[in-house]
Amino acid sequence: MPTQALKKTAPAQDESAQEKIQQLRELFADATDVGKAALENVIRELTSQVSEPPPPIESAGRVGARLGKRSELTIIVPLVPGGAKRLRTFLGLLGGNLSPGATKVGTLHDMRFVFFDNDTRLLFATSFDGDWDTYIDDFIALIPDYLDLMDSAWEGWPGIRNPGAKDYLVKHQITAEGWFVANPELTLAEIERLKRLGKAADEFLDKVA
Amino acid sequence: MQTQAQKEAAPEDSPVVQQKIKRLRELYADAPELGKLALEKGLPNLKRELAAATGTQKAGRIGARQGKVSELTGIIPFAKGGAKRLRGLLQALEGNFRGGDAVGTLHDMRFVFLDNDTKLLFATAYDGEWDAYIDDFVTKIPDAMDLLFCNIEGWPGIHSPSVKDFIANHQVAAEAWYVANPNLTVAETRRLEKIVKAADEFLDQVA
Repeated sequence: MPTQALKKTAPAQDESAQEKIQQLRELFADATDVGKAALENVIRELTSQVSEPPPPIESAGRVGARLGKRSELTIIVPLVPGGAKRLRTFLGLLGGNLSPGATKVGTLHDMRFVFFDNDTRLLFATSFDGDWDTYIDDFIALIPDYLDLMDSAWEGWPGIRNPGAKDYLVKHQITAEGWFVANPELTLAEIERLKRLGKAADEFLDKVA
Repeated sequence: MQTQAQKEAAPEDSPVVQQKIKRLRELYADAPELGKLALEKGLPNLKRELAAATGTQKAGRIGARQGKVSELTGIIPFAKGGAKRLRGLLQALEGNFRGGDAVGTLHDMRFVFLDNDTKLLFATAYDGEWDAYIDDFVTKIPDAMDLLFCNIEGWPGIHSPSVKDFIANHQVAAEAWYVANPNLTVAETRRLEKIVKAADEFLDQVA
């Protein structure tokens, strides 16, 4: 039975937390011993998280998960024959650094290209500010040719100027079921402001010291 | 003198860049039409980009790093029943993790179910070196790690001496990795937030 103290503070919340914990115990009944032991070890923390949960993930718009102001895009595409070689060499010539093009997209936090399944598939994963449609529009408006250069290795890519481009991206995007961001409220614009103010504050303190 | 001349020439017209452009044209000779077209149209920008390429670095044992921020990407088959358990756990947590803050070097982390729930994609962005980062997970949230990853095939347990080999073996290094603020660690971001907050309060008081 839940303790008297817990019942007094938030009976409804506590009951639903206990219910969720019970569900987790049932869910992990056929897990490995390592998993079952881990569940018992964190049950106290989990009870607190499920009774006072941190903000839940939401939708980034058409597809993808968002936490606070930060969204995720995870796309997995099959590569055309020869596509992996072209894309890898292209990325290699850039030294794996996409900064000059990518910095133009003012909402893009991070971006990775990962080849897998013997170079037959590509994972393209980014973290960005705000809504999916706006973000993709930025890519289309700001760096269309870079996109076509890289995406021409993708099986079936219609071209960024094709009206079907967004549908293609949606079709190959897989929404994350878990998404954590250390600073979910900090957009890139806000980070720039922090950097500027932080620098100014440091200089001010140096002067008055 | 030749070196002098090279120094004075715009970096995007340097022999190294010219050579790279030549290789790209050869490489894209058998690309779809729109790829070839994009190469020619993007050439002026591309030259600048090729000239500026500083290169990603390694995050240590495996993975790419840009400045102070590294990437970890793992694609791992689920254990039997693992996808169902992990999805149930993530749903109970509403997809977010308070434990992530405890790691201290973790920028972002995603869990994505692939190929009809047969594989897990786990991808993070973090500060610094691979070994130190994995150690943070081991010392700070060992039970959460076991709870999440007991659902993948062959997970040896976070306290097993072979856990680092297991992770490294399932990790796939990114071939390109971009970070908007490569020198901003999670700790530095927190420091900036504090300073700006203090400055705001100070200005409010003197105003």
